[in-house]
Amino acid sequence: MRALVLARHSFRRSAPIVIGMAVVLAGFQFMLTQVAVFLMRNQAFGLLSSLIPPYIRSMAGPAMVAFMSFTGVVALGYFHPIVLASLVGLAIAAGTEPAAEVETRFADLTLARPMARRDVITRSVIVLLVTIAALLAVMTAATSIGLACCTPAAAQRPRFALIASLALTLGAIVWCWGGVALAVAAGARRRATAAGLTAVTTLAAYLVDYLGRIWDPARLASRLSPFHYFEPMTLISGGPLDTSNLAVLCGIAIAGTAVAYVRFARRDL
Amino acid sequence: MSAPAIQLEHLGKRYGRVTALRDLSLEIAPGEVFGFLGLNGAGKTTTIRILLDLVRPTAGRAAVFGMDCQRRGLAVRARLGYLPGEPGFYGDTTGEATLELLGALSGGAIDRRWRRALLDRLELAAADLRRPLREYSTGMKRKLGIVQAFQADPELLVLDEPTEGLDPLMQEAFYGLLADVRARGRTVFMSSHVLPEVERVCDRIGLVRGGELVLVSTVRDIRRLAGRRVRVSFADAVSPPARWPDGWEVIQVNPRDWDLRVHGALGEVAAMLATLPLADLEVQTPHLEEILKAHYVDKAPA
Repeated sequence: MRALVLARHSFRRSAPIVIGMAVVLAGFQFMLTQVAVFLMRNQAFGLLSSLIPPYIRSMAGPAMVAFMSFTGVVALGYFHPIVLASLVGLAIAAGTEPAAEVETRFADLTLARPMARRDVITRSVIVLLVTIAALLAVMTAATSIGLACCTPAAAQRPRFALIASLALTLGAIVWCWGGVALAVAAGARRRATAAGLTAVTTLAAYLVDYLGRIWDPARLASRLSPFHYFEPMTLISGGPLDTSNLAVLCGIAIAGTAVAYVRFARRDL
Repeated sequence: MSAPAIQLEHLGKRYGRVTALRDLSLEIAPGEVFGFLGLNGAGKTTTIRILLDLVRPTAGRAAVFGMDCQRRGLAVRARLGYLPGEPGFYGDTTGEATLELLGALSGGAIDRRWRRALLDRLELAAADLRRPLREYSTGMKRKLGIVQAFQADPELLVLDEPTEGLDPLMQEAFYGLLADVRARGRTVFMSSHVLPEVERVCDRIGLVRGGELVLVSTVRDIRRLAGRRVRVSFADAVSPPARWPDGWEVIQVNPRDWDLRVHGALGEVAAMLATLPLADLEVQTPHLEEILKAHYVDKAPA
């Protein structure tokens, strides 16, 4: 109950940023549907594909061909690095709120009341999950509206199940980093330290995964990166939703959250 | 017999190699106003934070109304109100929203009339409460801090430097508030640097130095122990006695002026002076500040 009271307070404070992000991301998703329509009308998918050098095409595999399609362009917003970075950034901000409250001494005011320390972490989990879910719902809605209202009948529209799977995969990787941020923040005295450490780890993990994808010797190491289990291109290529990948990402998020509960309960504030 | 409002037993706290508290034992009765004194870094805030379970002791235990502060922290905190030294309010939140939030986290329902009375007393208008806290002055934030600590009308008030940043008029209002809650049987545990304030409002004081409790006493007893300064002027030159009575300490003696410190009752002084050509007499009760300064820096008389 007290976690909900605190969550309401956090939502109020973060509302301007979350609403702003929702508007921008929804606009981007909608515009991508219109870009796909434009490319289709100009029969540009084949042209774009032919512009890509053969060695890059062979390195990227069939995913590259899938990407150069109506579905691929519509789906771009669910794995574009900037979208990914903004959502992970927001998750890190939400996950590091406990450290911010210790730093500003707001925690002294709340925890001097009959409120358990676990409520602070539960609040952050609620904020994290609700924020991610709300943003993904807005993005999915914008894609669906763009496809429904302004797409010619001849277009090979992606099924809603594909869009939902892409959103789910994106949500899992974002939650994963939110869980890591929470684990780091639960033991930190300063939000900047917790957020910075998580952000650097995220960047390193992203680059390790990237290297693994383009360079065979690094492939094994890339398994250590959560981004290794983020496979939107497989979905676009027509592959099924890999539940084991989702399980790994959700597992990291849950483990991070569990660590956060333990660390925050044991620490001095 | 009711449990002590606060009971600290051999409390210790170490941060790595640094010892913040060492073997601190103290008992405060319900209804008492206790002043917790010491220089910065002496261990006052650490003690307070242990009571609130924000910090865990490395030795000993702390209890409030008989309940262990660490094992039964929720039950303890349901019965206390806390004013931090630096309240961590969010600047983008209004005063009203802050009080509502902290009230909702306090457990029981907040009596709106009591809160209104507190706000009126500290001159925080409804219009002030609608403003974001970034627009508040230091004093206004302090007043809001006092209201949030008192609004649930807790049985124990833990106040860290309560009048820091308040103007003299608001300090008076705060002392009045303190007198009211004391009259209603509430217990107050306050840390302060302002010795005249402690002298005025506290029943007892405890002085902590280097993490150790070096003095616990009533304000009256401390004054009595310190003795009163007696300055005497004579119409004619007089000879001092060959032997001064017990409890008399000579500061300066001239044929026409004596400057003495007298410990205990002044009856003996009056009896002696009645036999001498007395011109003027001045008796000064020492201020707490003068007495405690020595204790602060480890130069207390044995």
